[in-house]
Amino acid sequence: MTRYAMVMDTRRCIGCQSCTVACKIHNELPLDIIYNPVTTIGPTGTFPDLTLSFLPLICMHCDNPPCVDTCPTTASVQREDGIVYVVDSKCVGCLSCIMACPYGARQHNHETGTVSKCDFCKDRLEQGKLPHCVATCHQKARIFGDLHDPDSEVSKLVKNNRTVQLLGELNTDPSVFYIY
Amino acid sequence: MSKTVDLNQEGVQVKKSACYFCHQNCGVLAYVKDNKVLAIEGDPEFPTNQGGLCSRGNSALQHLDHPDRINYPLKRVGQRGEGKWQRIPWQQAIDEIAARLSDIKGQFGAEAVATAGGTQRTDDWARRRFMNLFGSPNGFHNAHLCWIPTFMVETAIYGWCPFDLDLGNSRCLVLWGQNPGASGMPEMHHIVELQQKGLKVIVIDPRYTETASKADLWLPLRPGSDLALALAWLHVIIYSGLFDQEYVDTYCEGFEALADHVADFSPEWAAPLTWLTPDQIRDSAVMYATNKPGNIQWGTSVDQIGRPAGATMHARALLRALTGNLDVPGGDLLTGPSREFITDEEMEANDSLPEEQKAKQIGSDRFKMVTWPGYGRIAELSKAFWGKAPTAEWMCEAHPPSVFRAILSEKPYPVKALLVSATNPISSYGETNLVMEALRKVDFMITSDYWMTPTAALSDYVIPAAGALERPTITSSYGCADFLLASQRAIQPMYERRNDYNFWRDLGVALGQQEHWPWETVEDAYFHKIEGLGSGTENYDQFVENVRFHFPEREYSKFKERGFATPSGKVELYSTVLEGLGYPPLPEYVGPTENEIDHPELAEKYPLVLTTGGGFMPFHHSEHFQIKSLRYLRHEPYMDINPATAASLSIKDGDWVWIETARGRIRQKANLTNGIDPRVVFTQRGWWYPERDMRDPVLGGCTESNANVLTTTADKDCDPFSGAWANRGLLCRVYKADQSDDKEVR
Repeated sequence: MTRYAMVMDTRRCIGCQSCTVACKIHNELPLDIIYNPVTTIGPTGTFPDLTLSFLPLICMHCDNPPCVDTCPTTASVQREDGIVYVVDSKCVGCLSCIMACPYGARQHNHETGTVSKCDFCKDRLEQGKLPHCVATCHQKARIFGDLHDPDSEVSKLVKNNRTVQLLGELNTDPSVFYIY
Repeated sequence: MSKTVDLNQEGVQVKKSACYFCHQNCGVLAYVKDNKVLAIEGDPEFPTNQGGLCSRGNSALQHLDHPDRINYPLKRVGQRGEGKWQRIPWQQAIDEIAARLSDIKGQFGAEAVATAGGTQRTDDWARRRFMNLFGSPNGFHNAHLCWIPTFMVETAIYGWCPFDLDLGNSRCLVLWGQNPGASGMPEMHHIVELQQKGLKVIVIDPRYTETASKADLWLPLRPGSDLALALAWLHVIIYSGLFDQEYVDTYCEGFEALADHVADFSPEWAAPLTWLTPDQIRDSAVMYATNKPGNIQWGTSVDQIGRPAGATMHARALLRALTGNLDVPGGDLLTGPSREFITDEEMEANDSLPEEQKAKQIGSDRFKMVTWPGYGRIAELSKAFWGKAPTAEWMCEAHPPSVFRAILSEKPYPVKALLVSATNPISSYGETNLVMEALRKVDFMITSDYWMTPTAALSDYVIPAAGALERPTITSSYGCADFLLASQRAIQPMYERRNDYNFWRDLGVALGQQEHWPWETVEDAYFHKIEGLGSGTENYDQFVENVRFHFPEREYSKFKERGFATPSGKVELYSTVLEGLGYPPLPEYVGPTENEIDHPELAEKYPLVLTTGGGFMPFHHSEHFQIKSLRYLRHEPYMDINPATAASLSIKDGDWVWIETARGRIRQKANLTNGIDPRVVFTQRGWWYPERDMRDPVLGGCTESNANVLTTTADKDCDPFSGAWANRGLLCRVYKADQSDDKEVR
């Protein structure tokens, strides 16, 4: 069974925010909703002995998603391939999923009254295309694919590199892996 | 929630277009139906971006039909800058402009008509063709701040500018004042890929940039002190015996003179001038000289340091020759112009401009490298060796600040008309107060642009320019590369927008140049240029669809058989071309344009060193501030200041502060960062506020945060070689702005 996953190779990320903008523009999101923020860490240290890194964020599409468990209307759904998304017509905007998500990946959409979040561009996947944030990344810092396919680039990267899942101690088992 | 356009629906065509929001021209696939673009994405088959697009590139559809775009020719009906416009038909605009230019030419001579351009976002061989046929030598761009002086100085020394880097075979890359991490995404991608295979990267930059953070060595030099560093590198390479003896002996002239010349320029000499340690200087020189083959990549910085710029380009250029990194596998290649397709220069009709008009080019009496005296000499050498000359548009231009001064003083003669294409001089040219005064005074001004910029707002006519998806593009490094990448338009221009080519052609035709403009469309002209590639295609669109790229086989070490395109046929470490033009044949030390050693009194009043002009995402020069889906990333302008300096000035993160030089002051918000020396501040460039009143005197708040209010274009501050003015290495002071200042700026 497919499990979609994303690897963030932070060694390559330069914080250009192309992913942030591509997602927002092509998914026609309201200005205050961002699925793909890129956090700048630094420069830390004292001039000129410095380090600088960037942390791209996104919905973790957890294998154990607390947002789905908490949704009282079954609007938050986890597909068999791991994609977690919101069925807009069922969402009543109670915001409990926003409270439940430890990653801040969900936002209240003031235009629709519902909760909005990344769905790994599931409709594009059906057209054989990559999520916008992955396709647009010049640096190839975002890699997307099927974690259960041993030949996929993501599974090889996860196998061959030291990776971390954010807030792993919560046992949410994110589908997003970071190489740093 | 996400939105997906069905790209597989019936009737959708995929056009091989290009982004036009900087001159990387990344490949874009445009999904088009019924002359409407449904969606765009990066073209995975394009060799540079390989599917990637930066934030600007992603905003192509927001740009295409933005409510603020200029869609029809506009004629001023109120006072200049009053914001009262009448929409008129295209042909009426052309006829009226042509009639007025004709009058000015009759009364004051063709040289009284000048044109201003920006960065390479246009087909400016067509503009040059128009100007040559019209009879004026006074076209200019911001070329002086962007590669062109470097191109000409390097060509003087070794017969061409080695801008084509054989990076795939390189072991060391020097990024001298360049930050591709924020300004050249496709380049940055390749650099990071190659680093994983062992490429060493040295970044020379006062700021700890995105790129510096990935480097093997970072040299945070004092802004504008690049010359001391380059001279010290020459010293280390010569006196530590790291130069390529065989290359120097066989292919270079003037080594002894150079060795004597740099004898005293030790790392210890350069350390206090550059604020680097002798070890940093020595280690970096050794890294470049011993990791061969290696590259020195051009960046805009040295072009923008003013007075020491030409000598710095000269010294830096010599490093490649001493290390034998010139035109060898993995080195910096001297390709020469294309011998296989018609170059931009061959489209310019430069022979049509009479010698007496060339002699009138403003600035050519003082700044000879990028005006007819220097260009003429280099074109002569280039034609004798390569059979062709560099592009004259860009490489041979009037000196912009001198043209602005001529408008005001009528010296050396009156300049009465200014045709502005794809630039906003108020934001982009040096010394804004001078530029604004000239633009307000010039008798007749036309602006062709996408937007009602502060400059357009002061114009008599505003001409609607076709944008990225509405125009074909040939990418060929200002017409000087031997390769090209061809892209097609996704759709015909919307409304009454036209390509700049059509503007110059129509104006030419209206002025009796009909026979010189046989190509009705841009595609016709492009196809004329590339027909010789023998690809068996019948028109330009077919070429794009079936061929698209032309990358000739690389010929390395051509010098072994042919020598170099210089008077002696060798690399002239001691440059007879520069000497012949009245410049020092060896690079003499000149301090930064404003500095604490040569100008102690100025430094007392303005104790911090200012650098401006660096690129930052998501804007490009003075563009894109209208586009909300980009602007939300950065609503306001920021200047970088070290926390220790900020604390001493009671400035907190996010405070509005004034930055002041001897020219004037601007305000930006303080970004407290450790990534900058406590003695240096960096201001963002380009800022204006299109959401504000666009009428004079507010003009979109175009002086409030505009870094060019701070820069200097006085002759004494310009590079004597090229006339490049100074954006970097200036002295300034910084202080907190308070609320009462709002009255002044709004």
